[in-house]
Amino acid sequence: MTDPVFGLIYIFIFPGFLFLFIYALFFAFLDRKIASRMQQRVGPPFFQPFADFIKMLGKEVIDPAGVDRVIFDAAPLVALAAVMTAYLYVPIIGNSPLAFQGDLVVVLYLLSLPTLVLFLLGWLSRNIFSAIGGIRAITQLFIYEVPFFLALLTPALMAGTWSISEIVFWQQKNLWFVFLQPIGFIVALIGLQAKLERTPFDIPEAETEIVAGPWTELTGRRLAIMDLTIDVSLVVGSALVAALFLGGPLISWTITPAWLEGIIGFLLFLIKTLAVLLILSSIKVATGRIRIDQLNDIGWKYIASASLVQVGIVLVMNYLWVYA
Amino acid sequence: MSVLGEMFENFLSRPITILYPKEKVPIPAAFRGRVAIADDKCIGCSKCSLVCPAQVITMIDGPRDVEFKGKNLARKKRPQVKLFKCIRCGLCERHCPTGAIVLKNELSCSGTDGEIVLTE
Amino acid sequence: MPEVVVSIGPHHPALKEPVNFKIIADGEKIVRLELDLSYNHRGVEKAAEQRDFIRVLPLLERVCGICSHSHSTAFAQGIEEIMQIEIPPRARYIRTIIAELERMHSHLLWLGVAAHLIGFNTLFMWTWRDREAVQDTVEEMSGNRVHYNMNEIGGVRCDLTPAQVNAALARLPNLEERVNKYVDMVNYEETMLLRFRGVGRLSKEEALRYGTVGPTARASGIDYDTRKDDPYLAYADAPWNVVTDTNGDVYGRTRVRVWEIQESLRIVRYCLENLPEGAIRVPAPKNAPKGEILSRYEAPRGELAHFIRTNGTDRVERVDIRTPTLANWTSVAICLVNQNLADIPVIVAAIDPCLSCTSRITLVENQTKKAGVISFDELIRRYRSRNPEEV
Repeated sequence: MTDPVFGLIYIFIFPGFLFLFIYALFFAFLDRKIASRMQQRVGPPFFQPFADFIKMLGKEVIDPAGVDRVIFDAAPLVALAAVMTAYLYVPIIGNSPLAFQGDLVVVLYLLSLPTLVLFLLGWLSRNIFSAIGGIRAITQLFIYEVPFFLALLTPALMAGTWSISEIVFWQQKNLWFVFLQPIGFIVALIGLQAKLERTPFDIPEAETEIVAGPWTELTGRRLAIMDLTIDVSLVVGSALVAALFLGGPLISWTITPAWLEGIIGFLLFLIKTLAVLLILSSIKVATGRIRIDQLNDIGWKYIASASLVQVGIVLVMNYLWVYA
Repeated sequence: MSVLGEMFENFLSRPITILYPKEKVPIPAAFRGRVAIADDKCIGCSKCSLVCPAQVITMIDGPRDVEFKGKNLARKKRPQVKLFKCIRCGLCERHCPTGAIVLKNELSCSGTDGEIVLTE
Repeated sequence: MPEVVVSIGPHHPALKEPVNFKIIADGEKIVRLELDLSYNHRGVEKAAEQRDFIRVLPLLERVCGICSHSHSTAFAQGIEEIMQIEIPPRARYIRTIIAELERMHSHLLWLGVAAHLIGFNTLFMWTWRDREAVQDTVEEMSGNRVHYNMNEIGGVRCDLTPAQVNAALARLPNLEERVNKYVDMVNYEETMLLRFRGVGRLSKEEALRYGTVGPTARASGIDYDTRKDDPYLAYADAPWNVVTDTNGDVYGRTRVRVWEIQESLRIVRYCLENLPEGAIRVPAPKNAPKGEILSRYEAPRGELAHFIRTNGTDRVERVDIRTPTLANWTSVAICLVNQNLADIPVIVAAIDPCLSCTSRITLVENQTKKAGVISFDELIRRYRSRNPEEV
């Protein structure tokens, strides 16, 4: 990165935090609109998540008796900071200027932080529903994290690099990974749905069973920040899956003026993340919630074995064709 | 699998929500809405007041001449309905001998004075 | 985790009405259940003693919103039998049509609520959309979507015009197609099967021993339906079958209810097509002779029993309402033990609880501030100790 002004604009304005803020709330609107149209309802207007965010910031913050106020205020901010930092390493208009070897691992680690924060909040609210919800969140993390990491590891294995931007480059020269590793793509989508705690995996937040789980005692600006964290995770998760499996913001032929390549790359980014969102919303609409012990069953029996099978196939393919 | 098919079919078609009050639904003729009393038919027999389950009809003074079964009668009382406490069960309409008190099929019932029913 | 008390209610997003389940849970498994049912008690039975037969029917209708016609018809039937008057056939058919339309809308509502409780909001939206067809039909016929007020002692309040009959018949084919889709969905949809199968199993012996009624009992294989065992209204004329299943769990109860919607569609179609001509009411006497009667009716939730005692005046002396939900609560307490915490809403919803119908009194001792339920003998003993001159 040579130009500090360019760097600041990249990080804070476009395609940095300001664009992320707008895009995350727009994604939340699209998710709700797609789901409602599939149910033959009208759905919310486009400014609904923005209005919710602003309204929630102004609401009264209620502290339950005996709860540590400092941690309750700080924890949602830590979660938001983690996912916003993870966003910076995902390629949006070409490769990310902050890329380095191993940023895939950093992104995956940062994306797990919101779940840990939810567990912490659930444990600290002195409320039986939040405690049960926090325990369910951590149990779910253990179940889906292994297949999710393995499914996102296989593109790195085949491309031979630990940097997301270089994996995108590899796909530009060869095939997209969705064709080379379809099982991995499916496992990555299921893992992403479980990480974002959406139906059928919204077990920690089951409204009809445990009120709102770890979210029960969050009010006012804490709830606004935590909601924004989940919306930003949706964007980062979709962008990560789009980068690793669908080729990211690059297309297979190079385009000569650099600014045109940037614009086309940005449009491709939008289209690919929207495609992933369409799949995730369809899964959310078509299913009901499953129980945590059933998730344990399905997760270890089918999803983890599918990801191991995928790793095996990739190793064989590497040996025979890619690095022969 | 039938769920997926129907989901995508719905996605591509119009929602079935009726955006009230811009679009309106026709109200059936038998709908039990707002109470209305026709002064020229009411003979003040107090039957509506006796059968009302919520006891919202009281008889007040209202001398007038009414034609009933070919004869001209001088009647003394007329009913008064507490509009907002009425449960719109329709028993007054069912038991009225002349059909003077009816439940119109008007959906909205707003007003400023909650106690009196105006006659039509 | 050690044993904790998870209190579901009286305010909880899973509940539609206030009730207090105090669940003693060990981790995610349930050990014991303590039930408090008194939050919706409104004193309807006492209020009914002070109203004459014309004014009491709308009151009894408002015991419950979804099974309103059931209470009104059960009472009207009982009084008509005490007075020994027979209502004309057209009135019987009209009462049957409204009763079966009520059953259909109640079961569709239940299906949506059960889907919502497992997080399957799509099915919730779709069933409630199809329920609107039934609600539109009843609104055209009786004037309101709930609380139809169709009954009076001696017949029905208003007639069905041919236009109304044709409009109702025109809505039935689409509804039938949708219900067939729901039968498919209940039997093959993966997440519903995962959440409903094997949950809250009640064997046939347990169901008989604890006195369950309605779809809860029929799902455990008990062939008991008041409409076939003790026919009233037009059920002896219309061609229909009692629906039973042998599964006994929530899956079985879902299947029974969805099949019952199909049977109701058959009954409604038969009654609409074969509506007899004639009067819709007979004049009824003002006072009822002295007598006692138990009037039984198959409400959407099971067998509803009204015990009525009259004493020659134009009011009842006592009406006691035994709702089907009251009979089914014991089975909930039995089949909740050793189930998961996540299954509580589903098991409770599987008996289709209607707490407005059910509420019984809880006594609170003022000095010790303990709450409890007392038996009938204890109630008599306390009354006699306070009113010694009446003994």
